[in-house]
Amino acid sequence: MTLIYALAIAAYVGCGLYMMLSRHAVRMILGLTLLTNGAIFLIFLSGRVGTTTPPVIPQGAEALAADAANALPQALVLTAIVIGFALTSFAVALVLEAHRSLGTLDVREMRDAERLGAPDPSPATSVKTHG
Amino acid sequence: MDLSTVLLVSLVGAVIAPFVAARAGVLAGPLAAALPAILFAWFFAQIDAVGTAPIVQVLPWVPSLGIDLTFRLDGFSLLFALLITGIGTLVTLYAASYMSAKPPFARAQFLLYILLFMTAMLATVTADNLVALFVFWEMTSLLSFLLVGFQSEDAKARKAALQSLLVTAGGGLALLAGIILIGVEAGTFSLAAITANPAPILESPLLPAIVVCVLIGAFTKSAQFPFHFWLPNAMKAPTPASAYLHSATMVKLGVYLLARLDPVFAGAPWVGATLVAFGGVTMLIAALQALRAVELKAVLAFSTVASLGTLVMLIGLDGPVSSVAVVGFILAHALYKATLFFCAGIVIHATHETKLRSLGGLAALLPVTAGATLLASFSMAGLPPFIGFISKEYLFEAKLESSLDTIAVIIGVLVNAVMVAIAGVLALKPFFGRAKKPIHVSHGEQPGMIIGPILLAVTGVAFGLVPSLVSYALITPAAIAIHGAPFEVSFKLWHGFTPMLALSGLVVALGAVLAWFWDPIHLALRRRRVFDEVFSDRGYEVVLERTLALARWSTNRLQNGDLRVYGAVVAASVTGLLAYGLMSGEGPLLPNVGAEPLRPYLVVVCALIVAGCVVAAVVPSLVTAIVAVGLSGYGLALVFLLNGGPDLALTQFSVETLFVVIVTAVLLKLPTVARSSRTPGERWVDATVATCFAACVLVATLWIKAKPFNTQLTEYFAVTSVPEGFGRNVVNVILVDFRALDTFGEIAVVAFAALGAWALLRSGSAIRRTGKGA
Repeated sequence: MTLIYALAIAAYVGCGLYMMLSRHAVRMILGLTLLTNGAIFLIFLSGRVGTTTPPVIPQGAEALAADAANALPQALVLTAIVIGFALTSFAVALVLEAHRSLGTLDVREMRDAERLGAPDPSPATSVKTHG
Repeated sequence: MDLSTVLLVSLVGAVIAPFVAARAGVLAGPLAAALPAILFAWFFAQIDAVGTAPIVQVLPWVPSLGIDLTFRLDGFSLLFALLITGIGTLVTLYAASYMSAKPPFARAQFLLYILLFMTAMLATVTADNLVALFVFWEMTSLLSFLLVGFQSEDAKARKAALQSLLVTAGGGLALLAGIILIGVEAGTFSLAAITANPAPILESPLLPAIVVCVLIGAFTKSAQFPFHFWLPNAMKAPTPASAYLHSATMVKLGVYLLARLDPVFAGAPWVGATLVAFGGVTMLIAALQALRAVELKAVLAFSTVASLGTLVMLIGLDGPVSSVAVVGFILAHALYKATLFFCAGIVIHATHETKLRSLGGLAALLPVTAGATLLASFSMAGLPPFIGFISKEYLFEAKLESSLDTIAVIIGVLVNAVMVAIAGVLALKPFFGRAKKPIHVSHGEQPGMIIGPILLAVTGVAFGLVPSLVSYALITPAAIAIHGAPFEVSFKLWHGFTPMLALSGLVVALGAVLAWFWDPIHLALRRRRVFDEVFSDRGYEVVLERTLALARWSTNRLQNGDLRVYGAVVAASVTGLLAYGLMSGEGPLLPNVGAEPLRPYLVVVCALIVAGCVVAAVVPSLVTAIVAVGLSGYGLALVFLLNGGPDLALTQFSVETLFVVIVTAVLLKLPTVARSSRTPGERWVDATVATCFAACVLVATLWIKAKPFNTQLTEYFAVTSVPEGFGRNVVNVILVDFRALDTFGEIAVVAFAALGAWALLRSGSAIRRTGKGA
């Protein structure tokens, strides 16, 4: 079973990374989401899985039953899901605003801060003559 | 006071004195010169003590690496220290006067650099630990850079400053490599220990590497072929700095180091031959260029290069006499060359004329300068009874006694004849020759500027007439220090009728002929442009250009502003590290995770996740991709649900739904079909990187599962949740009680993300208003 889970995690991070390397801003966000899910799954799995009993202490008892699920990774995962969502939402807002002000979703064309291809305009030609 | 205190005084004084002096008006010079004068007095007082045994002081610095601030004052160091502080005193006096027309801040700045340089030099020549020596050595390079580029409004000065820094500091790096190799082979960085027991280095297979590295360091610093070009260019520095750094002291550091290591390298005869060869080539090139040079300071600079070549050649020669010759020549050269630079500075300052051929008839206008120049030139020409004569006698004796006598003597005679001619022309032409056009002198001789040349020139005569003044106190201890073993030294004026005297006579006669025909020879050589091509800094320019081109090329490749390239580089690096970690770890690559019963529901859910991911990655339509991502997210929620995490499942369902809704809503404003932003080749590269990364994560996940699980924290929460947290849902208790601060931080993150999104999306945002224009 672990192998199946691990395959799912690998699919998450692999496809997530592949999409993040795209130059299309929306695809990058989708890739980010997949990567987040992969990380969350990994945290959850590393706390060991297998039981279906939730980590809730029944009325009358003082401690968790022995077969209950591990509560610690669940707490971490809960935090991770929310933070991942906040990150994604902010990225979506960023992309939307970028499209509104720059008119493109291609990161190659978002280059007001850094020019593509050359650290400064003049050396590009001198590279050809000397290099 | 011990040695380190003296250096500390020098450092503190160097920082304070210039700014005090800058406010002191006419007293500026004497006030600033008080510091080097006091230091000179201290070093002078050590002559007796050093004559018996070196003064050593050890301050721990990095003892675990064998790096300490070990200071050691022996005869050779003392000679340098006296030259540094003595000439430093005169240079400071001279500089205060030379710079008097400059604004106070520039004046203070210049004195600061000069005095800091003096401190660095003192530390270099007293350092016994090679690593400490290297640090101070590089400090002198840095201060040389600041001084050469002092007239920073002049583009040529800036270029020369950069060149001197790149050459000397670059050579310094080679030296550092050599020092580290020496340290590794000898087991110590102490110069004294290394020269006392050179066997480990001589027997090391790394000896050639050590020699090459050290020689590059020494040759760059002392302007030896093929690095000789930077010193004449460095004449852009104000004349006091040229006199001090680029003639009397700093450029002799390379010679200093070679002389220090001479007892080691004497065990490998090929090193000596290499030194003789490079020194000889440098001498010949410098003599030729000195004959061709137009500017007064350039003539002096090339003659300095020739002198440095002579010193390197002398160190390469075997026999104890060469040690005496080295020491004597260092002393004589410092005395006469500093005088000549001082006088050249006075002439340039007074006439604003830098070309040698334009000067003439200055003896009546600058009589004291003329006198000092005359005395220094006699010493440079090696005429009796000046110290230059004695040092030249030793020079020829060392050459005759060595095993490389013929070639060394021929080069020596030729180059020294040129030196005699230069000395004659320098002394006679500007002062007693006829000027082509009338020379205007803007002011007469200022006391602060004239005192240095007088003192140095007179000292040169005094040492020549009464060699015993320096023979026992300075020359003998210094020569013994670099020879490594005691021997009988006789430093005196008259040696009788010897072959050396005959050679001296020959040199003077040849030099007189050269000086007589200076103008035609100078003009004929000047017309041969081929020398400009061969001996210029062309090689330096090419190396510099190629380096810059390489930097531009790599920047274009790596820092080209393409986010995908950055991402791919980072991802590939992380993948590489992960893979390395996994492969170099213990055990097999794939761990045995044990057999567990398959749970059919979950297998289907995982298949759903995989399908969602793959579809999202390959489908061209963005809407389909969003749905696919949402699908895989629901799959994760199902995994939570089926593994005892209903809270997680609930959150994941809501978040995934919100995600799909938000992104789809946003897409209404954006084009839904995206043209591919990657070429097929790029997609293949990305897919490969992503697949490798996924494979690494897969293996890592299996390893996590295969390692034993620590249940300590889990059990702690399980039993303390009710008694201490008063809650039955353990996940909630952890979030709001045990890790409440973390949850607070998480809320803050969400709030900030919301704030950021709001700021971006509110109508008429600041970015859009300004962004279009930018």
